Amino acid sequence: MRIVHYINQFFAGIGGEEVAGAPLEERSRAVGPGRLLEQLMGEGAEVVSTLVCGDNHAVENEDEVVAAVIEKVRSAKGDLFVAGPCFEAGRYGMISGAVCAAVEAELGIPAVTGMHVENPGVDLYREALYIVDSGQNASEMKNVIEKMAALALKRLTGEPIGKPAEAGYLARGLIKDAFVEKRAGERLVDMLMAKVSGEPFETEMPASSFEATPMPAAVGDISKSKVMVITDGGLVPKGNPDGIRGMAATNWGTYSIEGRGNLESEDYEISHGGYDTRFVEEDPNRLVPLDALRELEEEGAIGELHNEFISTSGLANPLSNTRRMGKEMAEKVKAEGVDAVILTST
Amino acid sequence: MELTIARHPVADIQFGEKTRLDDTTLIINEGELRAHLLEDDRLVGADLEIVHPGEAARAGSVFDIIEPRAKAPGGSPDFPGIVGDVATAGHGTTHVLEGAAITVLNELSAEERGGRQDRILEMSGPASEHSHYATLHHLIIVSRTREELAPHVRMNAGRRASMRAAVYLARVGIGEAPTSSETFGPIGPTEPGREGLSRVAYVGQIYSRQRSPEVDEQIIYGVNTNGMMPLLLHPNEWLDGAIAPAYVLSLGGQETYFYQNHPVICDLYRRHQAHELNFVGTVATIAATDNADRDRNCHAAANFAKWGLGADAAVLTKFGGGVPHMDMAVTANILEGKGVKTAVMVSDMSGDRRVESALLFNFPDVDAVVYCGGDDTKWELPAIGRAIAGDPVTARTLAASGEVGAATIIGVTNQQGATHIQSIIY
Repeated sequence: MRIVHYINQFFAGIGGEEVAGAPLEERSRAVGPGRLLEQLMGEGAEVVSTLVCGDNHAVENEDEVVAAVIEKVRSAKGDLFVAGPCFEAGRYGMISGAVCAAVEAELGIPAVTGMHVENPGVDLYREALYIVDSGQNASEMKNVIEKMAALALKRLTGEPIGKPAEAGYLARGLIKDAFVEKRAGERLVDMLMAKVSGEPFETEMPASSFEATPMPAAVGDISKSKVMVITDGGLVPKGNPDGIRGMAATNWGTYSIEGRGNLESEDYEISHGGYDTRFVEEDPNRLVPLDALRELEEEGAIGELHNEFISTSGLANPLSNTRRMGKEMAEKVKAEGVDAVILTST
Repeated sequence: MELTIARHPVADIQFGEKTRLDDTTLIINEGELRAHLLEDDRLVGADLEIVHPGEAARAGSVFDIIEPRAKAPGGSPDFPGIVGDVATAGHGTTHVLEGAAITVLNELSAEERGGRQDRILEMSGPASEHSHYATLHHLIIVSRTREELAPHVRMNAGRRASMRAAVYLARVGIGEAPTSSETFGPIGPTEPGREGLSRVAYVGQIYSRQRSPEVDEQIIYGVNTNGMMPLLLHPNEWLDGAIAPAYVLSLGGQETYFYQNHPVICDLYRRHQAHELNFVGTVATIAATDNADRDRNCHAAANFAKWGLGADAAVLTKFGGGVPHMDMAVTANILEGKGVKTAVMVSDMSGDRRVESALLFNFPDVDAVVYCGGDDTKWELPAIGRAIAGDPVTARTLAASGEVGAATIIGVTNQQGATHIQSIIY
């Protein structure tokens, strides 16, 4: 088994921050933590190439370093790629994540790395990679390398990897079904009783935290602003011309309201399976309040109403969809010179 | 409130001369049962079929599955509000044909029912191994109703026929000595001898108002939840016919069978009897369609649990998708705020199987979550000789081979707590 190992200047023994600008170089043997790795991977395992790079050089020239690493792994005929462990070193974590992800994607061989959960590389690459939980302390090197080696062996042999806590890697945030012995009702009461009695219990869905969305700047003078309505309530023209699905929609539509004082029920329908749609079917203005906005436009309370609205269905929509659609809508809004958007939801 | 479940095991069902229980064989006089069902003048006919565990048979689309049960005289009514008069369910003796089931199929095709999801009863093969229903002997009923009736009336006729059949058949047990019997209760918030045990309540949703129920959609004591607020129910009321599923099996699945054999309530009872906890009672609630109703219902449900039942811990389940998910979490959060510890059961709503899309709430105190799955479990069903359906289009689809997801095989996914599929985070 041919192993290629990526490490930074510090773990290669070149030096610390003063040599963080060192360019990528190759040694044709195990260096530093690679020596233990080689031992633990068993008979026939050999670190055929150790790639060493200064952390500053790596993150400042990421594309170039990633491309060079791929070429080195390819020419070394590597069966396995390992980077780190990086512990809390942020730049080291980010480049290790980048090279591991690229090697897996380009060369189709397994890659394993190790980081502390708060290393910025984890947020960037946790979904794409198996990142062994290294903790903060580099004196735990032996334990960490053992976990990395065990995980690498499983990946090479195709043995089931197991759950994150058991196999020692950071949860990737991917969901898979499994049939379990106890049915859900019993697990529910088990968990409650553990919680009540103060015993440790493991929730099956830990709370996730999301990046905070900063409050945008206030709209300046609304009486001079161009305003647009976007809804996720699924209001579409009769016949649903864009085929927007009522659940987990993957697209959105733009519909003209030019010259109209209000929305007539006979012109619209709802593509949304998640709320009682009768009131909107009776009067679409209750979702896209064109009638009220025309009055405000007349009074001069808003500068101008944009002559179309955007609609999609917000039901059971994964973030991967909504994030993309949100970006697409934002581009449209910008291109139309809209100053303020009213979002109506259901 | 004391309910005795008298169990008569059934290891076979056959059509025969006289409807009776011959040891563990349930014999059904087909003509007499049909005549009994046709007393409802909305019916013009009823197809009756029998399928057994392990048989190469498939049926669909399933409207509901019911365990044959009949009340002995002197107790509460059979399915109050649907079959019997309305009176509090859950006391007296209920005779149960354990191992048997009545499965009623949709008479109308998915298209005629508005494109609603179909569910299949699969009696053999790998897909059947994860459904409790594949272990039962089923009498399958397709009610044939007058064509001029509105779809909801035809579904109501199907519901009533299935419950009347359940009672009719289980009456063979009345007067016979049961093989085993179990008594549930007395129980309640003031039960003595329970000092020092956790006081646990169950807060369960029975419907989501995202879809307006039909006027004759008999969900609780024969009514459709219009105007409903959360209410206190004795656990026996759930087990003994007070609650029925909606006309549309919602995401995850709910069937009458698992109200009668409610996994959460039965587990709480078991631990109550073992003196592990004090099961103080239940609250039945609904998911709302607007924010004001949500706030009101969630507070009311939590108040019933806290002040009505004196609970210091509660388990919660939902009915359906994202809105119910949220309502359940809000209720749990209010309970936690009142010092009532909670655990909740959810089904995976992520769509893309990624954690970032999965959690619809983020209340730090609602930290005990059972996570049911099903979205990435699929089976390739073989073509099958015996396909039983309400309409010819569905029959043809069922007979052919094809890939189906776990939620399509009835009993594999379930929101009442009966599923063994867990969504695991990797």
